[in-house]
Amino acid sequence: MAKDHRAGSKVRGEKLPAILMASHLLEGDTVFKTDAGWTRDPSAAKIAHDAETAAAMEAEGKAAAAANLVIDPYLVPVDLTDGGLPVAKHFRDVMRQKGPSIHPDMGKQAEFPPLR
Amino acid sequence: MYRYDEFDERFVRERVAQFRGQVERRLDGSLSEDEFKPLRLKNGLYLQLHAYMLRIAVPYGTLNSAQLRMLAHIAETYDKGYGHFTTRQNLQFNWPKLKDVPTILELLADVEMHCIQTSGNCIRNVTSDQFAGVARDEVEDPRPTAELIRQWSSLHPEFVWLPRKFKIAVTGAEHDRAAIMVHDIGLKLKRNDQGAVGYEVIVGGGLGRTPMIGKVVREFLPKDELLAYLEAVMRVYNSEGRRDNKFKARVKILVHETGEEEFRARVEEEYAKLDGPTINAPEEEVERIAAYFAAPTYEALPDVSQVLDQARAIDPELDRFVEQNSFEHKQPGYIALTIALKEIGAVPGDMSADQMRAFADIAEKYSFDEFRVTHSQNLVLPHVKKDDLPAVHAALKAAGLASANAGLITDIIACPGLDYCALATAKSIPIAQAIAKTFADQERQKAIGELPIKISGCINACGHHHVGAIGILGLEKGGRENYQITVGGDATEHAALGERLGPGIDAEDVPAAIEAIVETYLAEKQGSESFIETVRRTGPEPFKTGFTAFIESRAVESEAAE
Amino acid sequence: MTLIREDGAVEDRFTRADTIDAALAVDGPVLIPLAIADEFAKARPGAEFGVSLPGSTPIEDVKPQLGKIALVAIEFPAFADGRGFSLAKKIAREGFSGTLRASGPLIADEFADALACGFTEVELPETMANRQPVQQWLAAKDTMTEHYQSGYGRGPSILQKRLAARKGA
Ligand code: HEM
Ligand code: SF4
Repeated sequence: MAKDHRAGSKVRGEKLPAILMASHLLEGDTVFKTDAGWTRDPSAAKIAHDAETAAAMEAEGKAAAAANLVIDPYLVPVDLTDGGLPVAKHFRDVMRQKGPSIHPDMGKQAEFPPLR
Repeated sequence: MYRYDEFDERFVRERVAQFRGQVERRLDGSLSEDEFKPLRLKNGLYLQLHAYMLRIAVPYGTLNSAQLRMLAHIAETYDKGYGHFTTRQNLQFNWPKLKDVPTILELLADVEMHCIQTSGNCIRNVTSDQFAGVARDEVEDPRPTAELIRQWSSLHPEFVWLPRKFKIAVTGAEHDRAAIMVHDIGLKLKRNDQGAVGYEVIVGGGLGRTPMIGKVVREFLPKDELLAYLEAVMRVYNSEGRRDNKFKARVKILVHETGEEEFRARVEEEYAKLDGPTINAPEEEVERIAAYFAAPTYEALPDVSQVLDQARAIDPELDRFVEQNSFEHKQPGYIALTIALKEIGAVPGDMSADQMRAFADIAEKYSFDEFRVTHSQNLVLPHVKKDDLPAVHAALKAAGLASANAGLITDIIACPGLDYCALATAKSIPIAQAIAKTFADQERQKAIGELPIKISGCINACGHHHVGAIGILGLEKGGRENYQITVGGDATEHAALGERLGPGIDAEDVPAAIEAIVETYLAEKQGSESFIETVRRTGPEPFKTGFTAFIESRAVESEAAE
Repeated sequence: MTLIREDGAVEDRFTRADTIDAALAVDGPVLIPLAIADEFAKARPGAEFGVSLPGSTPIEDVKPQLGKIALVAIEFPAFADGRGFSLAKKIAREGFSGTLRASGPLIADEFADALACGFTEVELPETMANRQPVQQWLAAKDTMTEHYQSGYGRGPSILQKRLAARKGA
């Protein structure tokens, strides 16, 4: 069967800290797990610093997928900025945190402050 | 062009309602995501990095002004104000929301359009020659055949769950502009010794990770036997194509693994069991469809236009535009005009809603309300009076659509790549933009001449890099984007796959590497040879040598910098 | 298991048996793998039975049985595996007049296609039937009222209807 979407990117090395990313089923845009639920703002994503938190977030992601709220949730290894904000380690996930590089006026980069 | 009758209309409307129901059943959990995904794909809906993407069928690349105005309306209302024309002659919207898609489909149906089978493991939208009905080297217009196949393949009960996607292309001309050698099935209209019209049938071409050139399985298929023969090919493929490994599931692999002879024998065996007359289209139906593609009512004109010649003499820009972007029309006094969606620095194939409206007006006024989409992500005004060209050029220029680079080194094909695509391993569009900027100078482009560059952002080859005179493939290597470069690919009747020049390089180095390749060409070129003709004669060796020298010079530079 | 036909859910008259011993122990119609069909027919001449086989089975392997059996159940390993549709078409072409069953995790959206390719009924695992109850199947079947392909489904194709309309006019 055609696999048109690859959940997760190939990241070598440290898998933590991490955030949980998914696509919103009804809207299709990228969402991030928070304590309370989900956010569209990449700077508001909950950061897992340890394996237990990451596993718990992953389980919540799966539950949200099963409840027909999101699609393809996966953990994204991140580096933290000086301001403590999560920036994905893989360039593909960075693209999802920002929006298309060719259209700075579209996607997250147009709606939210940059991750600094 | 073809117009829906009551049956087509009802069919498309019911399909919209069906999809609306499928979305509802996805939301209430009746359909799981694994089940819904192929259903939405069969209706052209992908999930990309940032949003859904909706691929709209432009059957064999033909559109009218009302349709384009509707696309502009949808772009503004449900997307971000633009659309993207693709190498498969389709149009993609990059930002629709799932909840809006049924309504978008409804609007498309209002102008006789749909998204049926623009993705998924089924028979995809049929593609054809963008100069169909215009070209002088045409045996017969391929569009009636393409329309018949569109209807026959739409929701075909037996062939909607194939091992993999299936693409059919049709051409009626000597010079192949539809890339029939690299499709699952390529059909070429031809005449046999008795003068009867039929098809040469080619099966098993394709690009992707295992590029292959198709094999002729039938030298001559009488025209009225088309659907039964297609049914035989599809049944063999549906029954025997591999389902254990999706990378080996295309018909090209089946043909390759069973062998050309044996595959042909199996098709013929199946074909012999079919009762042709109960499957084939009645002759009256073929004629009914063909009548829609009758030539428009041209004026009787001299072939030379005084108006145009005088205007060209005083306007160098117009002169250059006409020289570069026009295609000879079989009707005297007319011309077909390529509109390159390739302004320097623009996204190849993108068109804004404003441009769509402006272009719709131009097509309506100057080209019998018709235009075409090409597999080079460009548009064509198929029937422009030469006398009208100065006015058409002015109108295009006002809309930012008068790029005089059709077929040149800046007329680049690029897939969406990592900027949108969930499968991408590297960016594609920014590479095209950087190359176009490097070669922006008009005189330089002209001196280099025809040079199709094609870029894909991963092994799936949506940007056709294998058949680019220069092909660029973006991959991921060691956590970075890395680009492999090939030369010598060709999608025409001389179909050939490009050969790699050496190791992959960084994104920043690509424009300079292309310059090095162009230098090799200009040094090797004999007479008026085009780039591809030179490569065909010299082989890739001199280009490899030049490329290796380029890589070494880069290594020296970066050492010096450290 | 749920068995669905064009007009709704029906009782399954057949009992599945995977071995010859199990098959011989069944009273009434039995559904057995193709591989033991000959053996069973010899042991129980004239008994009503059906065979089950995967969608990948070559038609040559089924053909000798078609005159003796009341049911062919084509097994679908997954809903997206379309081989069964082509096999159904080939079996129907041999003049088979018994019941053609599609068995496996099919989805309601495929019901119309299955019927058009010659299937009589669909046998669903219970998990599927819970998510997509019979009403969904019956509704899905009727969403498209026309088809372009001659030789599929019951009514004439669009192409044939156009021709008839023109002849009538
Ligand atoms: C943006 C999302 C897209 C996705 C996810 C996608 C996915 C794919 C995949 C998976 C393949 C490989 C199929 C195979 O070899 O079996 C493929 C091939 C192809 N795609 Fe796309 N594609 C996308 C966009 C496009 C666009 C924008 C174009 C046109 C510009 C395009 C045209 C093609 C063509 C021509 C092929 C090669 C067909 C062949 O192998 O013969 N695709 N695509
Ligand atoms: S070639 Fe790869 S990156 Fe480009 S559109 Fe196709 S699947 Fe996406």
